[in-house]
Amino acid sequence: MQAKKGKVSVMMGNVVAANVARLCRPEVVACYPITPQSEVAETISGFVADGSLDAEIVEVEGENSAMNVVLAASAAGARTFTATSSYGLVYMYDAILQASGFRVPVVMVNVNRETPGIHSVSSGQQDMISTRDAGWVQIIVENNQEIADQLIMCYKLAEDFDIQLPVMMNYDGYYLSYLNEEVEIPEQSDVDAFLAPLKNQPQRPRIIPGASTGCGTHGMEMGYVEARYKHWTAMDRAKQKVDDIDKEFGEYFGRSYGGQIEEYRMKDADIAILASGSAAGTAKTVVDTKREEGIKVGLVKLRLFRPFPEERLIKALKGKKAVGVIDRSICFGWKYGPMCMELKAIAPAIGSMPILSYIDGLANLDITVPHIGRVVDEVSAAAKGKAYQAVTWIPME
Amino acid sequence: MVIKYKNQFKTEAPWSDANQKMLALDTGSWRTERPVLDKSLCNYCGLCAIYCPPQCMKDMGDHYEANLAFCKGCGICAHECPKKAYTMKPEGDFTDAG
Amino acid sequence: MVEATKKRNRVFDYFCETDQFSGGVAWCAGCPLELIARTVPKVLGKNMVFVGTPSCSAPVLHGQNIGAWHKISYLACVMTGVASSATGLSRYFQRTKQDATVVAFTGDGCATDIGFQTLSGAAERNERFIYLAYDNEGYMNTGNQRSSATQKGAATTTTPVGKIGKGKPTASKNMTMIMLMHKPRYMATANPAYMEDFAKKLQKAKEAAKEGFVYLHVFSPCPVGWRIDSNLVIDVCRTATRTNWFPLWEAENGKPRFTVEVASPKPITDFTKLMRKFSHLKEDGLAELQKQVDERYSLLKLLVDNIK
Repeated sequence: MQAKKGKVSVMMGNVVAANVARLCRPEVVACYPITPQSEVAETISGFVADGSLDAEIVEVEGENSAMNVVLAASAAGARTFTATSSYGLVYMYDAILQASGFRVPVVMVNVNRETPGIHSVSSGQQDMISTRDAGWVQIIVENNQEIADQLIMCYKLAEDFDIQLPVMMNYDGYYLSYLNEEVEIPEQSDVDAFLAPLKNQPQRPRIIPGASTGCGTHGMEMGYVEARYKHWTAMDRAKQKVDDIDKEFGEYFGRSYGGQIEEYRMKDADIAILASGSAAGTAKTVVDTKREEGIKVGLVKLRLFRPFPEERLIKALKGKKAVGVIDRSICFGWKYGPMCMELKAIAPAIGSMPILSYIDGLANLDITVPHIGRVVDEVSAAAKGKAYQAVTWIPME
Repeated sequence: MVIKYKNQFKTEAPWSDANQKMLALDTGSWRTERPVLDKSLCNYCGLCAIYCPPQCMKDMGDHYEANLAFCKGCGICAHECPKKAYTMKPEGDFTDAG
Repeated sequence: MVEATKKRNRVFDYFCETDQFSGGVAWCAGCPLELIARTVPKVLGKNMVFVGTPSCSAPVLHGQNIGAWHKISYLACVMTGVASSATGLSRYFQRTKQDATVVAFTGDGCATDIGFQTLSGAAERNERFIYLAYDNEGYMNTGNQRSSATQKGAATTTTPVGKIGKGKPTASKNMTMIMLMHKPRYMATANPAYMEDFAKKLQKAKEAAKEGFVYLHVFSPCPVGWRIDSNLVIDVCRTATRTNWFPLWEAENGKPRFTVEVASPKPITDFTKLMRKFSHLKEDGLAELQKQVDERYSLLKLLVDNIK
C-alpha cells in the first residue's frame, strides 16, 4: 500500500461524494438540485465558491441541461462531474443516450430514488433500472467508504482509452445519502497519483476549434452499425477493467471491494443471496447470523450492474443449490425483479437450481434483518426440494 | 462470430473529419434552368454573388459567372440583378458540354 | 457598354475567411438558410464551432459517417440540448483559453419550442456564445409543421385549412421581444437581403460573445414550405423588412435601436402576396396579421425611444 492515511471523519453520504469528486479535479461541473441529491450540488458549489475546487460550475436550469453541459465539455476534452436522482435522471435521458453514444467519459453520481408514475420522494432503484439500456456503466455501492473509493475508480474506468464510456455510480437515497458514517477521505496527492497514469494514454478525440473535428456525425447504415458494435464491445471490456482497477486500488489504498461482484462467505456456501446497495450491508449481518444457526449461506453483492457481470456470477454461483435475489425495483412486464430476471438469463450456465425473486425496499420501506432472514429460510427450503414462490413482494405479504 | 466488416472510423466513437473526407453533392444536376449573363449589361455590382445561396458565383474581375457544377438554378441572381443582365435559360437548350 | 464600377462590392470586405462549406450541399434551391450558413464562418472565421441539432441545417451541418460537408468543427446535439451543450463547450474553451466562437445554430422550432428552456437558461446565466436562430416560421425539415414561431392563420401540415381548420389558431411567440427581456449582452435581428447589416451584426456578435450572451434572430423564409418561387426569396426577405413584418434592430445590454429605418412601411399584403402559404386568408385574416405587425412594431419603437 502506497497511500498515506487519509482524513477520517464522520460524514454524510452526499457530502462524501462531493468531497471525493473535488479530489478528482473535474474541470466542468453542472448540477441541478433534487432530493436526495441536493447536498452534492450544494457542497460542490461551496467548494467552487471558497476556491477549493478550481472548476467551471454551471448552475443549470434543469437536469437535461446538466447532462448536455458536461457531455459537451467532455467532448471538448474536459474531465466532468454531475449528480442527479430519479426524476432528474429520466429527464436527462436523451442526453444520457447521447453521452454514451458519443463515448464521452462523464462520471455521474445517481442517488437512487423512485421514479415518476406514483409521485414519491423516497429510496428505490427504479431510476437506475429505468436507464439500464442507456449504454452507461452502472455501479452500485454499499456504504459511505465505498462511495468515496468507487468514485475515484469511476474516473479511472471512464477515461481509460480502452473503455471511453460514461459511468454512473449509484447509491441509495436516504439510506446512504443522508447517512452520517465514519469515512476516510484519501489525500489529494494520492488521488492525483492514482489517476495520473491516464495522462500517459493516447488522447481521445476532442472538439478542437479550427481542426474540422465533427462530434455527432450521422451514422449511415454500416457507420451506425460500426459505432454501436464498438460501444457494445467496449462495455464487454469494461467488466475485466472494473476488476483490474479494483485490484490496483486495493494495492494503492489498501481497500478493495471485489470488482464486479463481492463474494461474501460464498466459497463453501450451499445457497446464496444476491443483493445490492445498502441492503447488501444488512444482508451480510443476516448471513453471519444464519451461519451460526448452521445454514451455509453466502452473499453475492452485485456492484457492477451494467455491463452485467455474467462471467463472475457464473463462477460464484455455479453448483449452488438455490439462489434468492432481492430486488429494490420492479421489472414491469416480467414476473421477477429486474436483477432476478437478468440472473435467470444466465441460469443455464449456473445450473438448474431454484432462483427465487424477492421485491422489497420500495419507497423507503426498509429491507430489514427479519425480511432477509425469511429470504434465507425460504431459499434454504427450496434447496431441499420444498415448493417455493417464484416471486414474492415482501411488503405485500 | 466471424467479422468480415472493415471499420470505416479510426475512432471508437463516430467522428467526422473534413480533412479526411470532404463531401460534395452534384447539385448542378438539380437545375432545370441556368443563368446566362449579358456581359454588356453587367456593372460588377456584385449583388448576384452576394445573394447566391450556394455562393457559386466566380469573380471574373469585371463580372461574375455561375459555377455550373453547383448552380441549382434558383434564379435569384437573375431576379436581383439591377441591370437585368441575366436571363434564366432552360437546361434543355444546352448540351452536356455546356 | 455600361461603365463598369470595377470596384468590388464592399460587402465582400466583411468576409475574413473563404467559404468553409462544400460547393454542393443539400439545401433546397433558393434556400436563404444556405446563404446564412455559408456567410457565418466567412465573417466569424475558422475558429468557430457550430452546435447544431436536427433541423434544416442538420443534413449539411452534421457529417455522414466520416465525411463532412464543411470544415468547421461541430457538435451535433438533440434538440433539447443545444444551448446547454453550447454552454459546456464555451465554458471549457474559456477555461483552456482556446480561441473559439461557439455558435448554436438552430431553427425557430428549437429556439422557440423544444430548446427554449435551455436557451432562456443560458441567456439568464449570460453564457458566452452566440445563439443564432434562423426563422422559417415552422418545422421545415420534417415537412412544414407549425412551431410557435408560425404566424396566425398560416397553413401548415399540422394546422391545415379545411372545413374546420383555418390554419394556425394562435399568433406567433414574439421571440425577439422575449429575448430582449433577458437583456443579453448583444442581440439583433438580421435579414439575408441586407447582407452588410447582417455581416456587421455578426462581427459585433463575435466580440460581444467574449463578454456575454448573444442572440441573433435571422429571417429565413422557406421557399418550399411557404410556397415561394425560388427566385423571389431575397425579394421576400427584403419585403419582410419593408413591411415591418421583420424589422431590423439590435440591442446592446438590452437597449434596442433600429439598424434599418423604414420610413413608410408597405402593407403586409405586399409580403403575403409573394407566397402561397397565406393564400387562403380572407380580408379579416390579413387584417389581423397587419394588426399584429403594427402592434409589435409600436411596442418595439416604444422601447427604442424610451430605454436609456
